[in-house]
Order: sequence, then structure tokens, then C-alpha cells
Amino acid sequence: MLLEIENLTKVYRTGTRANDGITLSVEEGEVFGLLGHNGAGKTTLVNQVVGLLKPTSGSILIDGHDLVADPGLARRLCSFQAQAQVPIDGLTPRQAIELLGQLRGASKAEVRRRRGILVDALELGEWLDVDAARLSGGVKRLVAFAMASVAPGRLVMLDEPTNDVDPVRRRLLWQQVRALADDGAAVLLVTHNVIEAERSVDRLAILDAGRVIAEGTPAELKAVLGAELRLELVVDPRAAEAPVSPFGRSVVAVGNRLMVGVPMDAAGPAVAWAESLQRAGAVEEFTLGPATLEDVYVALVGGGDVRPAETEESFDASAA
Amino acid sequence: MQALRSYRLLVTWQALRKKAYLPLMMAVQTLFSLGIVLGYPLLFPTLDRVTVYLIATGAPAISMLSVGLVALPQTVGEQKTEGSLAYMRSLPVPRLSYLVADLTVWLAIVVPGVVLGVLVGAWRFGLDLQVSPLVIPAVLMVALTSTCVGYALASVLPYMLTVIITQAIVVFVFMFSPLTFLPDKLPGWLETIHRLLPIQAMGEVTRGTIAPNEFPLPPGAFLTLAVWCVLGFAVTYAAMTRRG
Repeated sequence: MLLEIENLTKVYRTGTRANDGITLSVEEGEVFGLLGHNGAGKTTLVNQVVGLLKPTSGSILIDGHDLVADPGLARRLCSFQAQAQVPIDGLTPRQAIELLGQLRGASKAEVRRRRGILVDALELGEWLDVDAARLSGGVKRLVAFAMASVAPGRLVMLDEPTNDVDPVRRRLLWQQVRALADDGAAVLLVTHNVIEAERSVDRLAILDAGRVIAEGTPAELKAVLGAELRLELVVDPRAAEAPVSPFGRSVVAVGNRLMVGVPMDAAGPAVAWAESLQRAGAVEEFTLGPATLEDVYVALVGGGDVRPAETEESFDASAA
Repeated sequence: MQALRSYRLLVTWQALRKKAYLPLMMAVQTLFSLGIVLGYPLLFPTLDRVTVYLIATGAPAISMLSVGLVALPQTVGEQKTEGSLAYMRSLPVPRLSYLVADLTVWLAIVVPGVVLGVLVGAWRFGLDLQVSPLVIPAVLMVALTSTCVGYALASVLPYMLTVIITQAIVVFVFMFSPLTFLPDKLPGWLETIHRLLPIQAMGEVTRGTIAPNEFPLPPGAFLTLAVWCVLGFAVTYAAMTRRG
């Protein structure tokens, strides 16, 4: 493993336990997602890796080197895109990207070559020589990404890299994140955008209140939910009672949407049940699709109201 | 070698970042100097020879302090709040290179204002200044000390407190510091305080080198500035390398 974090705990002077015994590892060539709500402890974690914060206890190793003991080495081995905007007003993207590459020790020629590739790939050409003070937040964020990846370290840490970025360039950005991993870097991606993470990461950990509450591939985590399919019901807000799931699977309510876990072989009965609810006026519309990482995330972290699953008997009764 | 290379690249970065502010800073400094040189004669229509020289040599010192102890701490405090200082601290370069590079750029901002201040004063009062060559180390020392102390303030204090304190510093420097008057005008207790603070020494080296025929250059003044300069730098460097 390239990055090994073990039992990492960070307690701030205020007493806040921002990281609480976190253990995780990231391999070379892997994109590892770190998901969690605001305040879950994600940024605290990356700030410790890059040496801006000192852990209260625990260890952080890259390639076996102790980063807690040598924060200077940490900064050389990691490239970092922070959540805050980069301080480049007054510089053009060309200057910013090339300066960062040279600061990371790459030669001028190599920096220019990489800058050319990244600017083309992210379609930043039209802004290449525009003062960053005049760039939109999204373009600036892409420039920050290019700065972090122009001469990447062994570990590349990206803290919410897609914030403010338009949907088309988000795709381009994700391709470049993958390219970084394909070139041999380990990528630690911090995000609260679960839908994007599902498409982009190899493995992920979900952080809640400073702890890792789930870790695995997106498929493994979806298996935790115990459902291959997800029936989403838009409940009529005037209905006296919310529908009760008959499938013995978890139910998550977010606003007037009800997400019901459904096993693959119950797709037919699920649609029939939803149709009956729609006819009865309890449900406005419904969709049946594959379970997503978002369902797992919401079920684990909350943000919705997770209800206990009903029994198989109730399924049979309802289906009858 | 790496530290030098980083220093050169970081000076470029910081200078490009600040280039938009440079004209503004110089305008503010010139206004300070103009305000003092043109404003004092309005308050006191008859000025004696010593006072005229004090005003003309005090104005550039005040303009340097207005950047080092006011504009700089406010800017650095803002960088701390918005996270850009943390970003610069996360770069793979020696922190010393960053700090020295940033100080270099601030010095470049401070110094032109001094020249403007001296010229404005000499012009307004028709002075024939016999400037000593020691003015170069004197100005550099005053500029470096004020920027180091200003940096230390911003590094240690929360942003809002920095803003409040810098406002208080403006009043203190303008009204209660022996820059445009001699220290014996101050009440005894304030005179004592000023013997410990660097501001009086800044006034002494500035006027002692810009108008050496009018004012002595106390040898201890450079030492006082050096002590404050090292102290400011050490506090800033400690804050810069500290992991929270």
C-alpha cells in the first residue's frame, strides 16, 4: 500500500474529536474516495496527511515513510488541491500551473509539456492567458486541479475538486483524475458528491463524526444495503400515512421521497405494489432502478429518516 | 539550491499576486506623506526649523509603518482566514523560502513610498537635504522591522483582532509616537514605553540618515531595530511552521 493511515485521531484544542481512530489505505493506481457530510472530518484528515495539522495520535505512512515525523517530506510526496480557492489572482493559468510544476521540482520543458496536455484535456485554452482574478469559480477550480496534477506527487489529494465546475468539464476532470491513477499515483478524493464518487472511485470510505463507518468498493457497499434495486416513491404529501414497505428491506425517507430497497427477484411485485399505491392516490409517481451508492450513503449517514425494515410476512400480506 | 530556486519562484508568484495592489499601496503611502507634510502646516501655521525637518523626515517613516504594521497584517490576516496561507504552507518548499520571498515583495512595496515621502517633504518645505549613504540600510531596516513585526501580529492573532489592533496602531503611530516630534514632548511613562518599542528607533534612523546635519544617529537605534526584527521574524517563522 502506498498510503497507510492507522488509528488516526485528531482532537482540536476546543475538544472537538474531528478524527476518531481512522484506519485506511490507498494503493498506487487507485482512486480512493473519502465521503462524508460537512464536518465529518474529511478535510482534517487530508490536512494531517499534508502536514498542516499534527495528529493527536496514530500514524500516517507513505511508502513506509513516517509523515507525522517529517512533514516536509509529506509536502514533497503529496500534491494537494485544497478546498479553498487557490491564491492566484494576478497570475494567469499558464503562469500558475507552470510555477507550481517548477516548485514541485519538474524541469521547465516537462512542466510545459504537462501543462499543454492538461489545458487541452480540461479545455482551458481560452483562459490560458487571462488574469485569474477574472475567471469564474469553476474555471479557477480546474486550474487548481491542473496545478495539483502538473507534476504529481506519489499521492494526489483532491478536496472537493468539482465544486463550481460545469457538468461537461466535470467529466473531463474525472477522466484526468483517472489518468493520474493510471500513471501510478494514488489519488485520495474528498467529496460529498456521492453520485459522482460512485462513477469515479475504485474504493471509498464513508466518514461520519470522525469515524470510518463503511469502507469498500461501491459494489461492496451497495451490498451492505442488502438490495440490488431501489424503488423510489414520490409520496403524496396529503396522504394520511406513508406507505409501509413490504419487502423486508431498509426504507429511507428524504422529504416526500421514499426509497425502498427491493431484491432483484421482486421487481415485478414491487412495480405492482407501487402501481396499487399510485391508483390509491398515496403515491404520485415511482421509479424502479438499480440501488445507488447514494442510497447506501443516506442509509448509513442519515440526512433521511431510516426506518426499520418490515417483515417478510407483511410483504406477503401486501402482495396478496 | 532548492531553497534558492523555491525563493525565486515564490517571489515571482507573490509579486504577480500583489502587482494589482502595488499602485494602490503606493498611492496610500504617498497620501500619508502628503497628508503629514501638507496637513501639519495647516494645524500650526508657524513651524520652526527643527519641526519642519521632523515632519519631512517623519513622513516617510510613517508611510513605511502604514504598510508594514497596517496593510501587511490586514492582508496576511485575510489570507489566513480565506485559507490561501494554508495553501502556500502546503507547497513542497521550505517555509523559510516562502516567508523570505513574501517579505521581499513587501519590502519592494514599502520602499518606493519612502522616496516619494522624502521628495514631497523636501519640495513642500524647500529643504536642501544632505542625505547620508546610511539611508539605504536605515530604510531597509525600518521596512524589514515593520514588515516582520506586522507579519508576526497577523500570524499570532485572530483576523478580527488583527484588524482592530492595526486601527489602534494607526492612531498610536500618528499621534503618540516620536516620529514627527521628539520623544521629550511625550509624558514620562509614554517616553519609557517608546524606549522599548521599535517606533522611536525607526524615527531616529530615518531622520538621522535623511537629514544627518540636523539630527544625530544614536548607535543603539539600529540594535533596537535588529532585536525587534529578529523577534518578529522568529515569531512569524514559528507560526508558519507550527502544525495545529
